[in-house]
Amino acid sequence: MPYGCYLRRRVPATVGAMGETITFLGLESSCDDTAAAVVRLRDGRAEILSSVVAGQVALHADFGGVVPELAARAHVEKLDLCVEEALDQAGLTLENMDGIAVTAGPGLIGGVMAGVMCAKGLAAGAGLPLVGVNHLAGHALTPRLTDGLAFPYLMLLVSGGHCQFLIVRGPEEFSRLGGTIDDAPGEAFDKTAKLLGLPQPGGPAVEAEARAGDPRRIAFPRPLLDRPGCDMSFSGLKTALLRARDAAMAEAGGLTRQDRADLCAGFQAAVADVLAEKSRRALKLLGEAYGNDMEAIQTPYVNQNGQEYAPVLAVAGGVAANSVIRAALERVCDEAGARFLAPPLKLCTDNAAMIAWAGIERFRIGGRDGMDLAARPRWPLDQHAAPMLGAGKRGAKA
Amino acid sequence: MAKGQAERLMPLLEELLAEAGATWRDLDAVAVGIGPGNFTGIRISVAAARGLALSLHIPAIGVGTLEALALDLPRPVLAVTDARRGEVYAQGFGAGPAEPRLMTAEALVADLPPGLALVGDGAAVLQALRPDLRDLPPARPFAEALARIAAARLASGEPQPRPAPLYLRSADAAPAADPPPVLLP
Repeated sequence: MPYGCYLRRRVPATVGAMGETITFLGLESSCDDTAAAVVRLRDGRAEILSSVVAGQVALHADFGGVVPELAARAHVEKLDLCVEEALDQAGLTLENMDGIAVTAGPGLIGGVMAGVMCAKGLAAGAGLPLVGVNHLAGHALTPRLTDGLAFPYLMLLVSGGHCQFLIVRGPEEFSRLGGTIDDAPGEAFDKTAKLLGLPQPGGPAVEAEARAGDPRRIAFPRPLLDRPGCDMSFSGLKTALLRARDAAMAEAGGLTRQDRADLCAGFQAAVADVLAEKSRRALKLLGEAYGNDMEAIQTPYVNQNGQEYAPVLAVAGGVAANSVIRAALERVCDEAGARFLAPPLKLCTDNAAMIAWAGIERFRIGGRDGMDLAARPRWPLDQHAAPMLGAGKRGAKA
Repeated sequence: MAKGQAERLMPLLEELLAEAGATWRDLDAVAVGIGPGNFTGIRISVAAARGLALSLHIPAIGVGTLEALALDLPRPVLAVTDARRGEVYAQGFGAGPAEPRLMTAEALVADLPPGLALVGDGAAVLQALRPDLRDLPPARPFAEALARIAAARLASGEPQPRPAPLYLRSADAAPAADPPPVLLP
């Protein structure tokens, strides 16, 4: 059912209480960005005092993807430098921190381990609490860092490594409604760019190329739309793209610029359609999860009309930067009477501000970790949901 | 310890300090082995040491594992550890390669003087090819050797670079194989 009528609730859009101040250093090193940030919660408002990200795009450029060993090698020598820069930019020292938050998984284990060990060294030496953070919780809680969004809300996490719908109910309370059963869309964009001779990262390159393309010329499948629920699949799109490319090349002995643009446009439209339809279903499931009690799922926000209330679909992850996908999601939200919320791009992609913030959120409800904190390559956010990926001896990936 | 180093390292250090009646704040520097050796193990200790150095405002001093093995042994001696895949990490003190090297055992033994003393778990690999080489136990426990070498460097008063892992072996990454498509004009 559409969320037509807006009920009024008198809840301020803030996190925490007046007079409460918590300052955290955050560290992130789970993929190919080394990052450190200082975030402060004061009087119910979050403020990013600094956010430093040292990327590794050039390091992996020749390999067509992130090489875990190369990433780990870079992280271990950059983490403390990023921390120093983040503290400098914030004009603070470790003595001013209330705790240290670090990504403890999921991710490339060599990098996660480097981050966890650096954080342990910092926490031990400075005598500060250590808080291990799930990288996905960092993304999922970002709308509270940027917009003070109240629980619950719907989150679409869509990046190079992840794709899932979550109901975010609390700092450590997530219900997964569905997600990809194979590749993440960001990975598919990268592969598309690679197959078409476009530069990495593939997302921006494919989007730029698609502007001159006709999304209807080459037919791409819309995987899993014929099945109920919010699960998705993107690996078939890569195969479809490869076949369409090879067919075009077999015909003419090569690819024209127009072929390439049309392939990009067709692929992008398929991803956008799948994400849009699954978002529509996820919004419906959000309502059903709360017995269609509109008041329970509406979140206050301020717009030009003053304070309004609506259910929220928030996005995070690099794929959320794609303007065609974003427009499709905005349309879905408009139709459903929901509000679409996308944090600024630099907080959508991997960063340490979200880790510092998730650390503050955990810390506020008593979350602490010991010096035996383990780095976890796999760590599903919703521990109760059935595993969708990699349910083997190593445990569920997502 | 094959697994669990990342979980065990900091509690172990805290136990060690407590046993010595000391706290983190009593330290003047942190010594850390930089390898060559197990990549993940080296990164675990280097990352922790750099974090400790930053929070304690003291230097972290990186010490080569081969140099630590050879500490206080009579010269000449060759420190050698098993790098697997038929290779060894080696550093000579008075004989053999002066800087840490990754080599095949065959190439290494070709230039070693008769009866040379060896230290480290690579000794057996070399002795299989050259039975004349002698195997010595280290003179000091390994972590103690790291700390002694670092203490001497700290006392020298010279600025100490941040410790960085010494891998010697490259990351085994192959460039992307698929050629990009031919673009028609």
